[in-house]
Amino acid sequence: MQETELYDLSDDADYAASQQQQGSASMMRSDSSKRSSSSEPEGAEVVYTKDNVTIHPTQFASERISGRLKLIKQGSSLFMTWFPYKGQSSSARLSEKDMNLYTIRAVPFTEVRSIRRHTPALGWQYIIVVLSSGLAFPPLYFYNGGVREFLATIKQHVFLMRSAEDANVFLVNDLQNPLQRTLSSLELPRAVVAGLPSAPQSLVESPSQEHLKAVGEFHGESSSTFQYGGRQRQKGHDPTRDISIQVLEKFSLVTKFARETSQLFRETHSNGYGSFERKRNSQSAIDYTQKEADPAKKVPNQSFVPSDPLEKKPNIEHNHDEETSALVETFELIDCKEFDKLSLVWGKPRQPPLGSEEWATFLDSEGRVVDAKALRKRIFYGGVEHKLRREVWSFLLGYNTYESTDAEREYQRSVKKKEYEMIKHQWQSISPEQAKRFTKFRERKGLIEKDVVRTDRSLPFYDGDDNPHVNLLHDILLTYSFYNFDLGYCQGMSDLLSPILFVMEDESESFWCFVALMERLGPNFNRDQSGMHSQLFAISKLVELLDLPLHNYFKQNDCLNYFFCFRWILIQFKREFEYEMIMRLWEVLWTHYLSEHLHLYVCVAILKRHRSKIMGEQMDFDTLLKFINELSGHIDLDAILRDAEALCICAGENGAACIPPGTPPSLPVDNGSLYPQPDEVL
Amino acid sequence: MPSRRRTLLKVIILGDSGVGKTSLMNQYVNKKFSNQYKATIGADFLTKEVQFEDRLFTLQIWDTAGQERFQSLGVAFYRGADCCVLVYDVNSMKSFDNLNNWREEFLIQASPSDPENFPFVVLGNKIDVDGGNSRVVSEKKARAWCASKGNIPYFETSAKEGINVEEAFQCIAKNALKTGEEEEIYLPDTIDVGTSSQPRSTGCEC
Ligand SMILES: Nc1nc2c(ncn2[C@@H]2O[C@H](COP(=O)(O)OP(=O)(O)OP(=O)(O)O)[C@@H](O)[C@H]2O)c(=O)[nH]1
Ligand SMILES: [Mg+2]
Repeated sequence: MQETELYDLSDDADYAASQQQQGSASMMRSDSSKRSSSSEPEGAEVVYTKDNVTIHPTQFASERISGRLKLIKQGSSLFMTWFPYKGQSSSARLSEKDMNLYTIRAVPFTEVRSIRRHTPALGWQYIIVVLSSGLAFPPLYFYNGGVREFLATIKQHVFLMRSAEDANVFLVNDLQNPLQRTLSSLELPRAVVAGLPSAPQSLVESPSQEHLKAVGEFHGESSSTFQYGGRQRQKGHDPTRDISIQVLEKFSLVTKFARETSQLFRETHSNGYGSFERKRNSQSAIDYTQKEADPAKKVPNQSFVPSDPLEKKPNIEHNHDEETSALVETFELIDCKEFDKLSLVWGKPRQPPLGSEEWATFLDSEGRVVDAKALRKRIFYGGVEHKLRREVWSFLLGYNTYESTDAEREYQRSVKKKEYEMIKHQWQSISPEQAKRFTKFRERKGLIEKDVVRTDRSLPFYDGDDNPHVNLLHDILLTYSFYNFDLGYCQGMSDLLSPILFVMEDESESFWCFVALMERLGPNFNRDQSGMHSQLFAISKLVELLDLPLHNYFKQNDCLNYFFCFRWILIQFKREFEYEMIMRLWEVLWTHYLSEHLHLYVCVAILKRHRSKIMGEQMDFDTLLKFINELSGHIDLDAILRDAEALCICAGENGAACIPPGTPPSLPVDNGSLYPQPDEVL
Repeated sequence: MPSRRRTLLKVIILGDSGVGKTSLMNQYVNKKFSNQYKATIGADFLTKEVQFEDRLFTLQIWDTAGQERFQSLGVAFYRGADCCVLVYDVNSMKSFDNLNNWREEFLIQASPSDPENFPFVVLGNKIDVDGGNSRVVSEKKARAWCASKGNIPYFETSAKEGINVEEAFQCIAKNALKTGEEEEIYLPDTIDVGTSSQPRSTGCEC
């Protein structure tokens, strides 16, 4: 939008204030005309409208999404909506889907916990709305001002209280009974998760049921359960409709995909998995209660065979690795209904790690990586032999470029070493007298000292008193906190550095590889937790897309904040796997081969793998958190990677649309040279 | 409320990073100390059965990360707490100075029904270090602060040597039980359940 660019100039408070007045005046004029033609539902009254309220998904000025914020009163309830303007996207990177992702569709204030107001001296005012679930919407920037009016309007309709602690935080309905909230947000009765008769019915009965069941099957419940879900959906008001449509879209996407790549996935069938495993896992929560029972009594495969004569089950003889999650059923359903010859979509078998000989084939005579994409693909499917890691990781992390020659890298190494020493010298030269007057330095140093002695000390590489590697961890982290003083040091960083130092063995090289990693993961440690929030938000969206029953279960049990995935995300599963396995996982993630965000699909895959236990045992938030923490050391990496791959492919574009632009580990846009904007510092 | 209300006591341990929260919890529950515990990321809890006058209770002890940056997570974990343990390191003045922040942060985020009387217990940990020679917060100073905040019970502990840990947690459990009992009696007598009962930890209502 033109306007957006114009307001980018408003980098001082006076200017912003004058804009605010003009803005709200003109807004009121246009409101009156709009209100009559409003498309709000019966009995709803728009009590506040503000245009040019904008989301900044990234630091990137051209990727801002402007829209209209409204407060709507219906009966005694107040709702907030924010819709992006149609067709405003000037940037190729922002699809319609990206924009829809942020749409706020009638959030009742009963679900809002607090609103934080930011009125910086420079730049726009914005608010952050935090829901009771712990999720927060991204900051809403008021380009035309009006935050005060917004809060004042809310105050007229709901109980709004300024936090005693922070004058910029407004608590909403502080007395709200969470039980009520939970009850009112229930969409599907407990029966869905508690388990219905376990004999699945044939998949295709009448055409009218077909879609609904397709939706259900897609989300991996048994068909009987889904019929139930289907009936629910047929009832009048239907908040799940959107997702159903999304799923149907995906349905066609996947069938298309499956057609194109059936060959790829056929490879997987020669792998010799046990068919019993498949049976065991092809069921949902219902299955759980029977888990102890004789496996022979399990519902036989045949019960899934559709009655339609067209529907062959070409895959029954293909077997699967452990729990194949209901994903498989999904594809069988598609296969059977649409094409009778298609194979299952499943993650490719893992390959042995890349070895020296093969590695040499990727390099030209001067040491350039000729086909980076092929290399990344190769590593994605198998990882790297340990002795090659030192060399290969520096490419994967982006410290060395694929185009560089051996000689160039050699040169860079020495240059970077000097640069490292220089930064390190900055803190080394702080005298004790100076340190006495430098609290921030002492605090940082203290934190790092406390953490390095608690980092991987059971490994021979880091064990024992006065271990030199522990000291290196300390020096590198402290140097990093000077290199990136704004971010500083945060717990979790020592976990991220430890394997890098173990692999690189060289102080300066480790530092620069760590710097490269933090370019992507730095936002995990942001003070406002925005990087973590956007990832947890994306997981919740992905689970909603890929496993609706599980999503509904989390919703019913107040688990939608996904805090139980916090540790997974913050340090990239570092605490969940043995050392060798974490190095393997990281190098696979760093290829960014299928997606930059494969780690989010890994989360979904792990959750899906345990879905029947989670729902079957009716885990509440506490139990779930404990359960997840205790999975540490018990996750089968190869199996999970295959699941994650399959989920990622299966989710396709709809999956990508679940992930807000700029979500770590996406690289922040280079705002220095490419898009010089006066307000990028905001 | 299901009977769970009566048998589960939820305790939250708070304090600066590195003061020994994880070590204390493990010393109490598992009777061991290791200097290989990792810095806590996110949150976790351990449970222990305790007995009072032939009634069995499950003490659910929550251990959270100490770094300030993670405090916003607290809201998910503090709710429904029956007692809050504030830990500092007797060898670190800053960790002591921060007790006040931790206490207030807890009261805001957990919003207990009766903040004035919500039970806290303060532990001054690591008294073993250097035979007490590197100590910077005196017992007197700590006790004075506790007294000023409504007579908070105070213990000096060493998670490493297991000094006073059992005693401290006995007191913690007793205090937690008090909150639990009061709510239990209070609940049925009141009509407006919505305002008097604080949410338990997520999920157990339904
Ligand atoms: N000498 C001594 N050391 C202790 C004691 N308690 C803990 N420590 C050590 O202090 C360090 C921090 O202990 P933790 O229990 O991990 O601290 P924490 O409070 O859980 O820290 P965060 O998880 O970062 O919030 C570890 O190196 C422990 O070994 C104690 O009583 N005496
Ligand atoms: Mg800890």
